[in-house]
Amino acid sequence: MNRVVEVDNPEAFAEEITKLQDALPKKIDANPKNVEKGLAKLVLTLIELIRKLLEKQAMRRIDAGSLTEEEIERIGETLMKLENKMHELKVIFGLKDEELNLNLGPLGDLM
Amino acid sequence: MRIYTYGIIDSNATIGIGGPISGLEGTPVYNLCYRDIGAVVSKLINPVKEINKDDVLKHEEVVERLMDNFTVLPVRFFTTFNQEEEVLIMLKEYYQDFKENLDRLRNKVEFGIRVIWASETIKNRIIEAAKKFNPSITLKIDGERSRTINANVTIPDNSPGKNFAKEKFENYKIDKEFSEEADRCIAFLDDFFSRFVAEKKLEKLKTDNLLLNAYYLVEKEKEVDFKEAFERAKNTPGDLKYLFSGPWPPYNFINLSKRPYCFKDFIEGLRLLEKETDTQNLTDKASL
Repeated sequence: MNRVVEVDNPEAFAEEITKLQDALPKKIDANPKNVEKGLAKLVLTLIELIRKLLEKQAMRRIDAGSLTEEEIERIGETLMKLENKMHELKVIFGLKDEELNLNLGPLGDLM
Repeated sequence: MRIYTYGIIDSNATIGIGGPISGLEGTPVYNLCYRDIGAVVSKLINPVKEINKDDVLKHEEVVERLMDNFTVLPVRFFTTFNQEEEVLIMLKEYYQDFKENLDRLRNKVEFGIRVIWASETIKNRIIEAAKKFNPSITLKIDGERSRTINANVTIPDNSPGKNFAKEKFENYKIDKEFSEEADRCIAFLDDFFSRFVAEKKLEKLKTDNLLLNAYYLVEKEKEVDFKEAFERAKNTPGDLKYLFSGPWPPYNFINLSKRPYCFKDFIEGLRLLEKETDTQNLTDKASL
């Protein structure tokens, strides 16, 4: 078999492939020493997923012009408070944005 | 001792499966047959140790050797059974599924094409284009640069809620345009290959830079045409970087109606294996 691997810029592809591998959740880190953080990471990841979905849906509705100014105002305030609350929770549990990543299959990564 | 599995093949030959092949731990590879198909296995004498790169490459090497003479459904790396009887039970239970896939994938191989584009340049171009169209809306991104984009919807800046929604909306518009640009670019590239492929799987923007991660199933007799199509695509003007690999076993084109133990994480497992191999190839090239 004449297998070929042709690549223009090996370093660039290696970097992107590494990013992809890093995006895959390996396992829940729930050992006795940091079970709280492990669970918080899991729960916050799910909340972040829902928050992002809400945000995207809101933007689609704004884009479609189906919201009144009052509704945009209300949605904006809600999204802002949600984002601020998530930020607070991440600080409390010592989690960074990239730690709450989730591979959503064909939808790509959460972060 | 355990039975290590490499792949399912369309042959019940107990000998002569492509000459003498050694598997993991250097033990002989042989075919365990059921009706007209077989599971290619070897014996693992030692207790399961930590998985290492050499084992992954050895697994891949065996599958590649099998590809020379058979249609192969590659099995997930480090799939083992307690005894041969368990393998035979699995073959019997999933015979129909295996047969259908073997028939569909006969004389076909997989090629991988990955394309990197200059995502930052594309995004800047989108923002600049929008700025010319409507220079009145300014948005801060990354806390450093001030960027201007177009928004078709006017949201007055007279409350924190509206300001927040406006900022989010402006980012959303950039992302949307970025995604549409990616669609156009992928359609352009895919057009070079489509006529030569039996099936394809395209993944868009797995990262911002990785425009396309594509798997193409190609009939062996069209391999040359497919490679030529790749050369034509590669020679078109543009700031794209390509990774072309293959022919591979059809890792990404096996469709099972139900998944036996060894195929539980089939696609994911094999993709990891492929990535491992890709990364190794790239690392090797980079170190030259």
